[in-house]
Amino acid sequence: MKQSVYGLVLFILLALPPVAGLMESLMIAHMHMQMPLLVASGFLMAKYGQIRFPRFWERWNDNGVPGILLFAIIAVYWMLPRAMDEALAFPGMEAFKFVSLSLLCGMPLRDSWPKIGYAAKSAVIIGFTLLFAGMGLLYVIAPVQLCNNYVLLEQIALGWGFLTTAFCMVIFIIYHLFTRHSAYE
Amino acid sequence: MKSLRPNSLATFAVILFGIALFYWGTDGFTAYTAESARVNRLLDARPTFPQTTFEDSKGRSYSISEFEGKYVFLTFFYSACSTVCVQLEGNMGRVYETIPAERLGREIVFLSVSFDPDRDDPARLEEYRTFFDSDGETWRMARVPDRTELNRLLDEFGVIVIPDESGGFAHNSAFYLVDPAGTLIDVMDYTRPEEAANEVARILDQERGDGG
Repeated sequence: MKQSVYGLVLFILLALPPVAGLMESLMIAHMHMQMPLLVASGFLMAKYGQIRFPRFWERWNDNGVPGILLFAIIAVYWMLPRAMDEALAFPGMEAFKFVSLSLLCGMPLRDSWPKIGYAAKSAVIIGFTLLFAGMGLLYVIAPVQLCNNYVLLEQIALGWGFLTTAFCMVIFIIYHLFTRHSAYE
Repeated sequence: MKSLRPNSLATFAVILFGIALFYWGTDGFTAYTAESARVNRLLDARPTFPQTTFEDSKGRSYSISEFEGKYVFLTFFYSACSTVCVQLEGNMGRVYETIPAERLGREIVFLSVSFDPDRDDPARLEEYRTFFDSDGETWRMARVPDRTELNRLLDEFGVIVIPDESGGFAHNSAFYLVDPAGTLIDVMDYTRPEEAANEVARILDQERGDGG
């Protein structure tokens, strides 16, 4: 239960106008700090949801596939350059960003991850690694400004952020492949 | 089987939700950046030119009614910009060159509007104009001295200008075409001057066909 409170505190902290304004002023902080932290707040708050409504999760997210799909859809949606611009332009989209990333992205991830099998987990990790690498290249190479609210230099910084994340995920995958897991279990 | 059904239903619902979200978020899979969405919206809305007073490189002041009855080929720039604007104005020059002389000034006028009225005074605009093929008559360069009017114009045409650290501006760019009645009828890709030139020629020919 305690972690759900931490999750809620994190969510409220992120939603405070000065904090949100500061994070959104930098493109890379907007996408690589604010958004993942919102997912994390939902991930923490999920504990409350699981304790309070165990039947709901059991019934509708039995094998974890609906949850992980929902997680992926919301995560990919917020990587669209346009979604980011619109969150800054329209208060409704900004509200949707906060609600969707915490409740529809972080929460289902928490419930689904232990339920899905090894193949599905690998697909999610490899899929996001490829996506991050692709988005990174797009933002670094694109000669035009993709977001109206951020200058080109910030876009390139975000691209490198994506590539760095993808690189770390590749290291994780290699590490995972070359470790004998049975030795540690 | 009984416990599987709600789960499959949920999977199906999530996929449908995903398709709907992306369809809605990209205007039916057409606009993945806010810029393409902006152009789509502008072409739908077709805003009319707001009341604006220009001051051009020759120091003349006039409103948009100066160009009544003519098409206006419009760009937004600022002279201290050393990157996009040079390409934008250069490509505007390439479109300008393709217009036959008898049409220039009669059927169509080219107008470069500066959104940096503090620095782009008539003297500066007069100097900047000579870097391109602008003659100051059929291709005019002008500033909008009144801030309120300038902001309304930028807002109406969806131009977003962000001041950057080095005293410049980041901004989105396009070619705009305003019809003789003062309505925005086309927004064109400024990196493709040939396409824009063809489009302008087509519209002017059509007008001539309608008239005669």
